[in-house]
Amino acid sequence: MVSQSQRSNALRCLAHGVAAASPPQAVMAASRRQWSHVQRRARAACLQLVTALIFLAAGLATPTAAATVDATLDRDSVPAGNAALLALTITGSKVSQIELPEVENLIIQGRGQSRQIQMNNGQTAVSLTCTYAVGSNTPGTYQIPPINVGVDGQNLATKPLTLKVLDAAAVQPPPPSGTPPAAEEPADTSGKRFGFLTVELLVKDRNYLYVGEIAPVGIRAWLPQDSRVQLRSGIQPEGKAFTLHNVSERPQQSTEIKDGKRYTVVTWYGGISATKAGKYPASLSLDATVAVRDTAAPTPRPRSGGPFDDPFFDSIIGRMNTPMIEKEVTLKSDDEELEVRPLPGAGRPDGFTGAVGDFHLDSWEMPSTWKTGEPQQISASLGGSGNFTLLNAPGLTPPDAWKIYPGKSDLTPGDAAAFSGTKTFRFSAVARHGGQQDAALSFSFFDPATAAYKTLTSPPKTITVSGSDLVEDQSNITSAAAKQPAPPQDPLVGQHAALSPVGALLPLCARPAFIRMLGLAGLLCVLGSAFAGLRRRRSNPARLAHAAMEMATREALQVAAHCADSLDVAGFFDAARRAIQVQLGARWNQPAPAITLAEISARIAVDSPIAKFFHAADLSAYGLHAAADLLPEWRVLLAEALASLTPTTR
Amino acid sequence: MKRSLRIAGCFFLLANAPLQAAGVSALEQANQRFAAGNYAAAAADYDQILTIDGPRASVLYNLGNSYQRLEQYGPAILAYERARLLTPRDPDLLANLTLARKAATAFEDPRRNPRLEAMLNHYSRDEWSWLVAGAALFLGGLAVLSGALGLPRRSWCPAVIIAASLAGLALVCGAGALYLRRDEAARGIVLNAKAGVRLSPFDQAEVLGTPGAGHSVRLGAANGPFHYVEVPGTSLCGWMADSEVAAITPGGGKPGG
Repeated sequence: MVSQSQRSNALRCLAHGVAAASPPQAVMAASRRQWSHVQRRARAACLQLVTALIFLAAGLATPTAAATVDATLDRDSVPAGNAALLALTITGSKVSQIELPEVENLIIQGRGQSRQIQMNNGQTAVSLTCTYAVGSNTPGTYQIPPINVGVDGQNLATKPLTLKVLDAAAVQPPPPSGTPPAAEEPADTSGKRFGFLTVELLVKDRNYLYVGEIAPVGIRAWLPQDSRVQLRSGIQPEGKAFTLHNVSERPQQSTEIKDGKRYTVVTWYGGISATKAGKYPASLSLDATVAVRDTAAPTPRPRSGGPFDDPFFDSIIGRMNTPMIEKEVTLKSDDEELEVRPLPGAGRPDGFTGAVGDFHLDSWEMPSTWKTGEPQQISASLGGSGNFTLLNAPGLTPPDAWKIYPGKSDLTPGDAAAFSGTKTFRFSAVARHGGQQDAALSFSFFDPATAAYKTLTSPPKTITVSGSDLVEDQSNITSAAAKQPAPPQDPLVGQHAALSPVGALLPLCARPAFIRMLGLAGLLCVLGSAFAGLRRRRSNPARLAHAAMEMATREALQVAAHCADSLDVAGFFDAARRAIQVQLGARWNQPAPAITLAEISARIAVDSPIAKFFHAADLSAYGLHAAADLLPEWRVLLAEALASLTPTTR
Repeated sequence: MKRSLRIAGCFFLLANAPLQAAGVSALEQANQRFAAGNYAAAAADYDQILTIDGPRASVLYNLGNSYQRLEQYGPAILAYERARLLTPRDPDLLANLTLARKAATAFEDPRRNPRLEAMLNHYSRDEWSWLVAGAALFLGGLAVLSGALGLPRRSWCPAVIIAASLAGLALVCGAGALYLRRDEAARGIVLNAKAGVRLSPFDQAEVLGTPGAGHSVRLGAANGPFHYVEVPGTSLCGWMADSEVAAITPGGGKPGG
């Protein structure tokens, strides 16, 4: 059996082989390796050609079956806008023509053809199958008339066909046979459609933890991709066996595929601890509002025609149009049991306070000189990983030589979940005995990796304690020594006992008083500026000089008027000239006594009232006493002289 | 004048002494109930003290502790936030507020630089307001004194310039802080875990989402017994019943229309 495609492939290979057998100049220049590759391909092509020719010769030599035509539809009905597949099978060696009928509102489009050659009991049957898509946008029952086909010189016709086109809104189309079903989300019947949680113990080579140990865990929320999620609570343990600690506030996000489904995975890190030994389900829950795409909802009709007439685009657009289902759900983890082992009773050190983990003494400081009864500050930094909450300040050894007071501690976390880090202790201690002593810091913890208690002690430091031994009640010492490990502290800071003053919740800026105060401040600034301006104006030297000049002029004119009234001609001229001198002196920036007739004659016209008046005044001053009856004329001349001085100058 | 002021001060103290004593005894009683584990009764007592006396930081703090013990994180965070308006640097308050936020998974959205945020929140809005008003009044007074009297000695000039510069700096910093924190006037806290943001201000309206107890929301206009709210950091916005959300600053949000 040789198909048409095999034959065309053989021809293509033949052409390639011929081209390779007569290489052009470019191929000649190619490397020997390339040339051998071309030779191999040419040989293979020749072999395929020979095989195809043998089959063809066999086909031509053997009798062929009688020509037949047949048409079938892959379905009887189809929704409007969709198409059924019509297969036209023609058996015969030579097909001359195919006449497709025309039916109103019915669309028939060719979708390709395939040829088959069958050899059966010496007979060769060559068949051609043409495939057409048949459909309509108008509902109704369509009769497809016989299709006339010319084959082997005969005119054959198919039997008529009937196709029902249904209203698309009323019916969903069944998936066409032979075509793969659309990619759908697998129906989720496990109750995890909206996501779920997983809890993973992040302890190496261990699947258990010890009482009091804070074991690091990774809590992962698996949320369906393309879902919208809003968290409504924090991660909570379902039972009372476990407690979560320091769950990271900023989870990490990634995309992962699980069981063939793509998820958005949100991962928190934190610590988990238990107070009782046993096996308990480590189930956690998380309240969230999750919106996922409703894959059960009817999908939109596939698009036909246009640039997006492709199943690929149908899938994308279909997903975009799929409605969302929003639900408030509680994501839960599987109830996988976690073993909690008790801390061994044997070998428990006296100073053990419940710290479980792996700790070390980073640094410590202690003064070298002490005095009995006086507290001294000691600081120590313990690093490592574990439950820092139960890690108390290291003790001073030997224990009976010191009295220790509780101090402060600060934890510097080394990771997001505060599982590792450094805890710094600052506390005070009082030496009970005088003299030289070797002091060291010591603390104990349980190491879960080795399942054993460890006690770390700093190198001893020799300190000098002055003063005499303290005398105190021995019962206090024994009771303090026998004190049990402190229970875990309540994280909630306690009540305030003092009554604080009454305050206002409304801030000042939200009250009208704020605007008034700002307005008052602005007013004060304006007032200050005004005062400063006034002060500057009052102390201006030019203004002061001008005022003095005005006053001197006014006084001189008053004296002149008085002398004129008393017919004192000499006094009149003296005072009047002084008034003009003051005015001109200020104008010419010269001392008033320096203004003489010569100065005036040099600057002003000789026939001006000022020059005339000064001339008359000089005559009067140098012995030519004018008659008192001319005083009115001199007064008029004085008025003209003063008027000739511009107001600005005055 | 001084004598009359002293007399007035003494009179004020004497008049307030019984009220103060009553408040102290009520606080002690409420604290005793808290210590006995009767948190609901303690919360009621603290509420009564606040109703009678007015807002007190310590009482609001204790009230928040009571609600936190009752696992009512919405009212607890509301009480802590109100206490923070009065004592913004109280370490106990900040620690318990962080605990409540953590328990309610109602974390604050860090919008700005954390260091800048810490600087802005170091003082309450009231303190920043007083800083601005004080600096402005100081500058105004300085202007009047300098303008009216002048500086008696030339050596005082640098001191006055430094003081004015500091006041100006305080004014600018305070005004900047108030501007950057202007959104806080309309902050509200969701009281119930089931409190829903509705499509319209009606009881039967569709619930668009539940922000969760203790979450901060931005309060908008009021409409009857509903307030328009926006949940920061999300696209969730709608109407929420007044019984399910409370403004941190009384009168927060816009008046109803």
